[in-house]
Amino acid sequence: MAREYPWRRRAGWWLQNRRYLAFQLRELGGVVSAIYGLIFLNLLRTLRAGESAYTAFVDMMRTPPILYVNLVLFALLVWHAVTWFMLIGKSQPIQFTERPLPWRAVFGVNVLLWIGVSGAVVYLIFGGF
Amino acid sequence: MGEELGATRESLAYNPGRETVHADQKAGEPEVFLEPLLWGLFSLGGFITAFLFPITVFLLFVAPSFGLWPSDPAAYATFAAHYREPLVRVFFFALIGGSLFHGTHRLKFMLVDAGLRGPGIEAALDIILNAIAIVGTLGALYYAVRGWLFA
Repeated sequence: MAREYPWRRRAGWWLQNRRYLAFQLRELGGVVSAIYGLIFLNLLRTLRAGESAYTAFVDMMRTPPILYVNLVLFALLVWHAVTWFMLIGKSQPIQFTERPLPWRAVFGVNVLLWIGVSGAVVYLIFGGF
Repeated sequence: MGEELGATRESLAYNPGRETVHADQKAGEPEVFLEPLLWGLFSLGGFITAFLFPITVFLLFVAPSFGLWPSDPAAYATFAAHYREPLVRVFFFALIGGSLFHGTHRLKFMLVDAGLRGPGIEAALDIILNAIAIVGTLGALYYAVRGWLFA
């Protein structure tokens, strides 16, 4: 029976070069989305609890130092989104023609879609400007 | 000249990268059900997170703090009024559920990468992180239907 090759990766491997660091930051961005998922859940909980609880929570989210933490987490979320769109054309090559579409074309289409979807969210979910 | 076809109507021409993959279950192997489901939810959550999260976080927590938006979408009266609409409730349910399944799945593999390896540890991580995702999603569902389907 074949032996399984022992899997080894030394601690701090992702600090070896910028590509590994970018990958790990992207992974972290995914985890950040779950943190925001829990934050939104608490937002809905405070909304049910009443105006004072809701306002206190929103104010807390916008007060330093949490505001600055929010900025960093927001940057990670955007990085996660951008790299997700970069990934789509690579991990799932879209093939309408003999050769798959170049990943840059798929990325461009997704960014345009992203802008459109974000505009729809502004108007349909948050009532516009 | 016509294309040569096999008995199963598959092309026999050389076709790099398009070899037929038979997904039939091999005899004697247990059916894998949960793992593809979790990966599917992870992928769906990734799309939801990528497309919907940045604009939502920007509008609720970033833009009003720096005066980058003419109104405050997170103000109680505004948000409470919008949250009465079914579409907004479905939106936040998808946002919370998708992000939790996506993020907890990623966290598991980050922790495994960091050295938390072994069948026992990974099974424990699976249970804890998936429980967070499932309970959080059910919580989002509760807030989505409460006051709409029941008081």
